[in-house]
Amino acid sequence: MMKTLSACIVLVFVCLSGYNAEDDSTARLLASKNILNQFLVEGRDLTVEYKIFNVGSSAATEVTLKDDSFPASDFEILVGSVEVQWGRIAPGSNVSHSVIVKPLKYGYFNFTAAEISYLPSEDVTEKQVGYTSSPGEGGIVNSKDFDRKFSPHVLDWLVFAVMTLPSLGIPFLLWFSSKRRYDQPKPKKN
Amino acid sequence: MKFVWKLLLFVLLVLPTTILVFENGNSGLVVRAEEGSDPVEGEDDDDDDEATVETEDTETAEGAAVTEGEKTDDDEEEEEADELLKPSPDADAILLFTKPTGTTDLPAGHLVRFLVGFTNKGEQDFVVENMEASFRYPQDYSFYIQNFTTNTYNQIVEPKKEATFDYSFNPSESFSSRPFGLTVLVNYKDNARNPFQHAVFNETVNVVEPDEGLDGETFFLYVFLAAIVVLLLVGAQQLLSTFGRKHLTSKPRPPVEMGTQNSDIDYDWLPKETLQGMNQSPRRSPKQSPRQRRNKRATGSGEE
Repeated sequence: MMKTLSACIVLVFVCLSGYNAEDDSTARLLASKNILNQFLVEGRDLTVEYKIFNVGSSAATEVTLKDDSFPASDFEILVGSVEVQWGRIAPGSNVSHSVIVKPLKYGYFNFTAAEISYLPSEDVTEKQVGYTSSPGEGGIVNSKDFDRKFSPHVLDWLVFAVMTLPSLGIPFLLWFSSKRRYDQPKPKKN
Repeated sequence: MKFVWKLLLFVLLVLPTTILVFENGNSGLVVRAEEGSDPVEGEDDDDDDEATVETEDTETAEGAAVTEGEKTDDDEEEEEADELLKPSPDADAILLFTKPTGTTDLPAGHLVRFLVGFTNKGEQDFVVENMEASFRYPQDYSFYIQNFTTNTYNQIVEPKKEATFDYSFNPSESFSSRPFGLTVLVNYKDNARNPFQHAVFNETVNVVEPDEGLDGETFFLYVFLAAIVVLLLVGAQQLLSTFGRKHLTSKPRPPVEMGTQNSDIDYDWLPKETLQGMNQSPRRSPKQSPRQRRNKRATGSGEE
């Protein structure tokens, strides 16, 4: 009786584990890459933000983020690094990383995805590779055009002020010269 | 004793066969019966189903652990009657709301962002073409209320690789405080240009009123109301002060000196010039002047 009972129990466990076999707790990372600027201007800072979310049920280990989409001829990296590593991202949490670059040329640039790689669980040796989201094509504006729209134009205003001086100054001088004649103290009659 | 052995034998035969049938899902009858309600096979979904993540896929009914079940017949659709694109068994997708996080209550008039992770579990390249989202009538998902812009990616995802896609939309202000069915569809093709479609999210969401803090309009509204209150107070104060002034000034006024009121004055002894001068000067009391004139005329004509 005990033998059969134990056999039954073992069988039940085997069957149940058969269902669970494919349901390992694994990590699943979703990575987004976003440009935070509203305007992309040649020669001005451009901020790129990377965010990685772990939506799996276990921690992701040896997470590497690598972005090769900024060639050195077109971009200068000012702050941050395009290659980042995290030891562990816990399930249900997220991490973020920012890089500031400066575009050296103007024109349309296709911002492509960066690559991430991670180990989804402890017993896996092969790294899972993925792509982040790509911001798409952005237009980098020529600095001259941008300044024409948005700079304070101080020099232009000064030139304008100098150029309006004649049209204001000449009537003033005329009035002033005629007024001066009447400013002499009159001899009092008494 | 013998009965227990017989039972054991029966279980040994029945259980494996049911497992085989359920996991492969070859028979349409089994699929229809399973329709997403099987608690064991849905375990994988449950594991991923934290508050933020939905892996719901109503187009494949039998969600066997990781692989999507293969659909062999077309008449398994639950929603539409016409032929629809189905997801490929070699691909899997997962959705996560990044703004607002942790809830499916979307603020009206504000940007909603989410990420869709796409995994290529097969041996061929997949090209993820575009992703579209739409609001449907919650009681009938085939009725479109609003279509949102389709984002085109055309991204190649190699075998065993994943990719993430970003999507954002703005539910209109007029949609607040209503439930909607949100459907997010990912369209992708394999090497042979076969089209596939995966409904990454196909559930009812609530569009709620956004909790706005102090904005310009409300601030100036309060300033305006305060100004009206101050104006009323000032008006009331003015009214009270005028009433008060009338009461105050009428009582302690000293009696004005009216001068001589007596009209029986004999003016005969005065010379003519003086009388004329008196007539021209401003009159003290109107009673005197006609009498003065009469007297003056009398004396004048008398003397002449």
